[in-house]
Amino acid sequence: MQKNNKILKIDYEKCTGCRLCELVCAVKHDRVSNPIRSRIRVIKWESEGIYVPVSCQQCEDAPCVLGCPAKALSRNDDLGRVEIDYNKCIGCRTCVSVCPFGAMHFVDADRKVIKCDLCDGDPQCVRFCDVEAVSFVETKDLGLEKGREAARRLQAAGKKAGTLLEA
Amino acid sequence: MALNRKIAYIDLTTGDIQVKPIPIEIRKRFIGGRGLDAYLLYNHTEKGVDPLSPDNVLLISAGLLAATCASATTRTHVMAKSPLTGLLGSTNMGGFFAPELAWAGFHHLVIRGKAEKPCYLFIHDGEIEIRDAKNIWGRSTTETQWAIREELNDPEVKSLVIGPAGETLVRFANVMTGIKDSGGRTGMGCIMGSKNLKAVAARGTTDISIAYPEEALEFNKRFIDQIASSKVNQTQGTLGTPFIWGATNSWGGVRARNFQYNQCEYADDIEPERIDEIATETMGPHHMAGCFGCQVHCRARYKLPSGPYAGKYDEGPEYTALGAFGAMPDCRNAETVLTCNYLVNQYGMDVLETGAMISWAMELFELGILTSEQTDGLELRFGNDEALIEMISRICSRKGWLGDTLADGGIPASEKIGKNSFDYLVQVKGMNNLHSDERGTPALALNVATASRGSDHLRSRPAIDLYHLPEQVLRKIYSNPVPYDGPLSSDHTVYEGKPWQVFWQENCYMAVDCLGICKYHTVFLGPTHPNFEDWAKVIHYNTGLEFTPKDIWDAAVRGNTIERLFNLREGLTRNDLQKGDMLNHRYFDEPCLRGAPDVVGRKIDKDKFIQMIDELYEHKGLDKDGVPKPETLKKQGLEGEPSHRL
Amino acid sequence: MANEEISTAEALRKTRTYGKIRCHNPSCMGRLTPEAGQAHVKCPECGMEFRVHWIRPDFPRIRGPVWEVNRKIAEEALKKKEKDQ
Repeated sequence: MQKNNKILKIDYEKCTGCRLCELVCAVKHDRVSNPIRSRIRVIKWESEGIYVPVSCQQCEDAPCVLGCPAKALSRNDDLGRVEIDYNKCIGCRTCVSVCPFGAMHFVDADRKVIKCDLCDGDPQCVRFCDVEAVSFVETKDLGLEKGREAARRLQAAGKKAGTLLEA
Repeated sequence: MALNRKIAYIDLTTGDIQVKPIPIEIRKRFIGGRGLDAYLLYNHTEKGVDPLSPDNVLLISAGLLAATCASATTRTHVMAKSPLTGLLGSTNMGGFFAPELAWAGFHHLVIRGKAEKPCYLFIHDGEIEIRDAKNIWGRSTTETQWAIREELNDPEVKSLVIGPAGETLVRFANVMTGIKDSGGRTGMGCIMGSKNLKAVAARGTTDISIAYPEEALEFNKRFIDQIASSKVNQTQGTLGTPFIWGATNSWGGVRARNFQYNQCEYADDIEPERIDEIATETMGPHHMAGCFGCQVHCRARYKLPSGPYAGKYDEGPEYTALGAFGAMPDCRNAETVLTCNYLVNQYGMDVLETGAMISWAMELFELGILTSEQTDGLELRFGNDEALIEMISRICSRKGWLGDTLADGGIPASEKIGKNSFDYLVQVKGMNNLHSDERGTPALALNVATASRGSDHLRSRPAIDLYHLPEQVLRKIYSNPVPYDGPLSSDHTVYEGKPWQVFWQENCYMAVDCLGICKYHTVFLGPTHPNFEDWAKVIHYNTGLEFTPKDIWDAAVRGNTIERLFNLREGLTRNDLQKGDMLNHRYFDEPCLRGAPDVVGRKIDKDKFIQMIDELYEHKGLDKDGVPKPETLKKQGLEGEPSHRL
Repeated sequence: MANEEISTAEALRKTRTYGKIRCHNPSCMGRLTPEAGQAHVKCPECGMEFRVHWIRPDFPRIRGPVWEVNRKIAEEALKKKEKDQ
C-alpha cells in the first residue's frame, strides 16, 4: 500500500529559469555546488524564452526499475519514490538510457548514477522555488489548480458571451 | 588555502596562457570581482596607455561568491581602461556566465595583446583554448552565442560576446550574455573588438566546495526570505526594473527631451504597466525571468508586438530603456522603445549611451547646431521615432558623418561638432547620465558627479533618499558597520549628511560587486535588504573565509581608493568638466519646469554642491584636490601600489 | 541557526508597510489609501492626483500622474516660486 502520495509537480510555465533548484539540490545531496550533480535540471531554449525543469516523475511502472539488470532500482512506498540501492548498482547506466524524461544522470566524478529522492520528504527545490514552478503535492490534487484555472476561464468566457447575447 | 578558482593571464598576441592561484591574503584585501579587477588594472597597465592598443588589459571576472550557495551570485565584472572616457572602464552584468566561469575553474581573466585574426576563448574545466572566430565574426550578439554552442556541440555553454558594434569599435559597445544581460557602461565591447576577441565561452563541470553546506543552505533561505518578503521585490518581480518609472516620472525625476524637461508627460504607452501587458499578451501571465539563483526575477520575456521586428523574442526592457528611447528622445511609444531595445541588444551597444547620444544630437539639431547636411538629410527632431531607430543603425555601422561621429562618444563628438554643443551634453568624465534628473535631489547629484566610471547611478546612489525614511531608520542603516554620528536627514532636498550616504553606498555597491551578487539584493531600492553583516555570514558559510563586516567595508574602501588612483593617474582633475567630479552647468543654471510642486523650480546650488564634494573627499580620505592623502594610503595598505603581487 | 540573533536588515523588517502607498510629491509623502480596485487617487495633503495600478488585489501602486491636474499644480507652484524670488 502506497503510504506517501506526494510527488513533485512541475508547472514549467511558472519557471523563471533561475536554476536555484539545481544549486540547492547539489548542495543538499553532495555538499558542493555543481549543476551536473543536480537531480533536477532546467532545460532551456533561451532563444525563445522557454524554461522547463525536468526531474524524476517517480513512475508507477518505471522503465528504470524494469530495465535494471541488477535489480538495484525499486519503489519505496513509504517515501513515494523510486530509489537506487547503491550496494546492488553495477553502474551500467541502463536506467539513464531508458528513462523517458532524461531524469537519471551519471556523474563522471563519482562514477555513479543519481536520481531525485524527494529529499526524503522535504524537497529543497520546492522549498526554494518562490514562484512555485516546482511544488510537492498529493497525486490526487495534481489536476486541481489547472482545473480551477480552466473552469474560471470558462466561466468568464460564458459571462462575456452572455453579455454579448443580451446586447 | 586558496579557493579552487584561479586567475588566467592570456596574451592574444603570443597565444601564451598562464594560470595562477589567487592567494588568500589578496582575497582579504580586495575580495574578488570588481575590487580585485581594479587592483589588476592598476597593476597591469602603464600610465597613459591607449585604450585601443594591445597594451590595454581586459579583465573579466566572477565575484568571490560566484556559483556558491548564496543568493544571486550571477554577476560578471568587466574592466579595462575605457575607450569612451580614457579613465576607468568598468561594467557589471547578470545572467549565467559568471557561475559557469567559476565551475570551469576560473574567477579572473587578464587578457592583453591583440589576436592576429578574430578569435574567441573557450574555457572548460581548467582548460583555455584560443579558437578561430571566422564563423561568428559579424554576427549579432544572440546569433554568436547560438553559433558557438553549435560549433562546440554543447547547449550549456555560456558566452560573453560582442555584437557588430564592438567590431566597428563603437566607443560604447557593450559585452553581452544571454538575450539581454549586458555589461553596458564604458565601452568594454569596444575593447574586445580592438583585441579581435569576439567572445569568451565557458563551460564548467567542476565542483565548487561549500565550507558549511547545511548552514549555507539555511542562511540562503533566510536571506532570500528577507528580500522576497519586501514590497519592492514584489513590485520589481512583477513589473521589472521599469517599476521605478511610476515614482520618478510622477514627481519629476526623469529627463525628457535630453535635459529640457524633468518629466515625460502623457507617456502612458511606455509605462511599466503597459510593457507588462505586452509581455502578458505575447508570453503569458508567467513571463518574468531571473538570473542565476535569483528569486527577484526582474526581467520580462516578451515578443515585439508590432513594428519592423514584430514577433521577435526579446527580454527586458529595463528602466533605462524607457528613458533612453522614450523620455530623452521624446518618443513615447512602446513599439519604438521595444524596437530600439531589440536593436541595441542585437548590435551590442549600451542602451543608455546610445539613447543619450541621439537625444543630445536631437537637441543640437533643433537648435541648429547640427545641420541637415551633417545628418545626411535625417530630420533628427525630438519625437521622430523613425529617425531615432535609423540613427541607432547608423551608429552601429558608423554610417554617414553623424553615425561615425556619435559612435566615438560624447566628448570626441562634441569636439567634432563644435560650437557650443558640449554645453548640452549631460555627462560626467565623458560618459552620459541615465535619464534621471537629479536637480531636485542633491544626494543623487553628488553621486553622479563623483562616480568612478563617469556619470552613473550604480556606483554610489543613495536611491532610498527619496523614501523619506525616519531618521532613526537611516541611522541604523548608515552607521553600520562603521560608526557615524554626523548629520543625516530624511529630507531629500537638503545638502547636509548626504556625502556620508553617498560614501556608504559607494562602499556597499563596491562590496556587492566584489562578492558578485546583485545590487537588488542590498540597500539600493530596498532599505531593509541585507548588507555587510549578512555578507560576513554568507562568505563564511560558503567559502570558510573569515571576514568581519568591517573587513568587508575596509576592502570595499580599498577597492574604491584604487579606482581613484587609476583615474588620477589617467588624468582625473577635480573640477575638469571632461575628466573631473563636476556636473554639466545645466544642473546649476536651468530650473526644473515640471513635476511635483516640491520639484518645480529646483536646481542644484553650486556652492553647497562643492561643499558636499569637500565633505565626501574627507570621508574618503582625499585632499581638496581629490587625491588620497599619504596617511589614507598607509591606513589602507596601498602606499606601495602598484605592488605587482598578482 | 534559528536562534541566531537577527541582523539590522531583519530588525528593520517591522518598518515595512504593505498595501499602503504614499503621495509621490517628495515633500508631501501623504498617506494614500485607495479603495480596492480604485483607478484614481487624490492626495488629501497636496491635491496631486494619481492613476493607480494594482499589483495584486491587496497591493496598489501609483502608475503615474493624472496629467492635466498635476501639470496645473506644477505651473501654479512654479509661478509662485518665481514671484517669491
